[in-house]
Amino acid sequence: MNSATLSKTRTDKQSNLGGRINPERVKALFPIFRNNELTRNLSYLDNAATSQKPEVVMQAMDDAMRLFHSPVNRGFYPLAEQTTTRYEQARERLKSFIGAETDTSVIFTASATDSINQVAQGFLLARLKPGQNVWVTRMEHHSNYLPWQDVCEKSGANLRIIELNSAGELDLDRHLDIFSDTTAMIALTQTSNVLGTTNDVGAICKQAKQMHIPVLIDAAQAVVSNTINVQQLGCDFLVFSAHKMFAPTGIGLLYIAPDRLDQVQPVRLGGGMVDFAADHIADTTWSEAPHRFEAGSPNLVGAVGFAAACDFVESLGQANIKTHIGELASSLYQQLSHYPNLHLVSPAKHLSSGIVSFYHDVIHAHDLAQIMGDSGVAVRAGHHCAQPLLKHLGVSSTLRISISVYNTNDDIRAVVNALEYAEKVFA
Amino acid sequence: MSDSQLYKAQLLDHFKKPRNKVVGELSTMQIVKRGSNPRCGDDIEVGFSLTGNIIHSIQFRGRGCSVCIASASMMTESTKGQSAEYVKSIAAQMQRWIAGEDVNIPDMLLPLEAVRRHPARKKCVMLAWHALVEGMDECNV
Repeated sequence: MNSATLSKTRTDKQSNLGGRINPERVKALFPIFRNNELTRNLSYLDNAATSQKPEVVMQAMDDAMRLFHSPVNRGFYPLAEQTTTRYEQARERLKSFIGAETDTSVIFTASATDSINQVAQGFLLARLKPGQNVWVTRMEHHSNYLPWQDVCEKSGANLRIIELNSAGELDLDRHLDIFSDTTAMIALTQTSNVLGTTNDVGAICKQAKQMHIPVLIDAAQAVVSNTINVQQLGCDFLVFSAHKMFAPTGIGLLYIAPDRLDQVQPVRLGGGMVDFAADHIADTTWSEAPHRFEAGSPNLVGAVGFAAACDFVESLGQANIKTHIGELASSLYQQLSHYPNLHLVSPAKHLSSGIVSFYHDVIHAHDLAQIMGDSGVAVRAGHHCAQPLLKHLGVSSTLRISISVYNTNDDIRAVVNALEYAEKVFA
Repeated sequence: MSDSQLYKAQLLDHFKKPRNKVVGELSTMQIVKRGSNPRCGDDIEVGFSLTGNIIHSIQFRGRGCSVCIASASMMTESTKGQSAEYVKSIAAQMQRWIAGEDVNIPDMLLPLEAVRRHPARKKCVMLAWHALVEGMDECNV
């Protein structure tokens, strides 16, 4: 069976789930929930941090190691040629997943963080001038904040922050100079990993394009429940990691729009990305995109798993996923709103992200997370790598529930029961 | 429901009614040191005054999780009236004990025992102790 047939068979199998998400049925596709004493009855609600992995992704990665593992883009024997083909098929899969124009724009990186750093260092740093503005938002993860802060300080440019309004949304009207010739770059998240707020990134790209301002979108939290089409968005760069969308850690995506490819210098130098290695780096010539951005032996197993995860997500359907996680988040939100000591920071309007964050007047988020953990409810407590946002909210930590395809009403009940118990312990 | 036994009655008692915790400044203390853990938001100050090499007064203030506040509270009770040498020795023992080593610590610190099984919470226990030791190092006692 060739790879295309194998991939199609799996996709069709997953597609049988089509329509409304049946979480119990989906959960059965994830071995961790049946193979491990710690996880058998676990309410895993830390999906904004990382997702669990379905059998189909594991199987694809297992195949990559058992059946066709050899160097990528480096061998002239049949096995190596087949491996290269599989790797490039994975790229093609990601290309169709994000609606990219060409596979040269689809670059495998180590993570979303790595992708952003490559754009900050390889694209913006060289063109950034003193006094120019680089805009990020108040709700950015550190991964979409620190790299821009760094290049601004190195260049004498200004890191500007798009603040939030009282509804927890971007207050674009407050910053009249965003879409002006003083702006060198806009980098923003599609969905906040703390609030769950989903931004209208398409509208921002459209306005930015009129001023030729490059835009980077961090889609790490959005990609599971939103169909991404980079051409429709009109973004210059888009990044996400694989591990939040049911694929392995250690691999991420960097999309570079075709007209920006030649404006990005490779940051990672080494094997597989150079055409002619001269006596001096200035005379060295780089390979064509995307290979010049993929120094070192490519992550074959990760890429194959990443592609299988695209099949998995599309077989469920992002719209169906959004409906499912949104309904559970709304149910949780409604139940939590009855606790007077509890303050919800996620906007009710944005619960379709599946993220519900809150803090408690009496119980520290870490204590609450600990008690929930001991009760079989896995959640996240802390600043969620978004300290500028937490500072804005005036709290040092929040507790975050993040919902995915395998979560059920039982998981939501488990959260509420654990909260009840925690309030008794700390009464 | 919870099987960790982390939240023992004694620990919760120190959290709900922390000893030697003040709301305002620690301005009456000779030495004041801050301990903070931005990862979880624990942020406290420990202040103490010496007579000779004896800690005759010790207080703390700040915010933190129950483990952090309870540990700071227990620390003040276990070190008040003690010599600097003794306190440094107990701080070193605490560091080893919380890391899982089989060493003796004063009985009043034993309610923190369950924290040893929760690696993510060990910093919460040691935050006050680190601030205290830093303060003692500064005044060379």
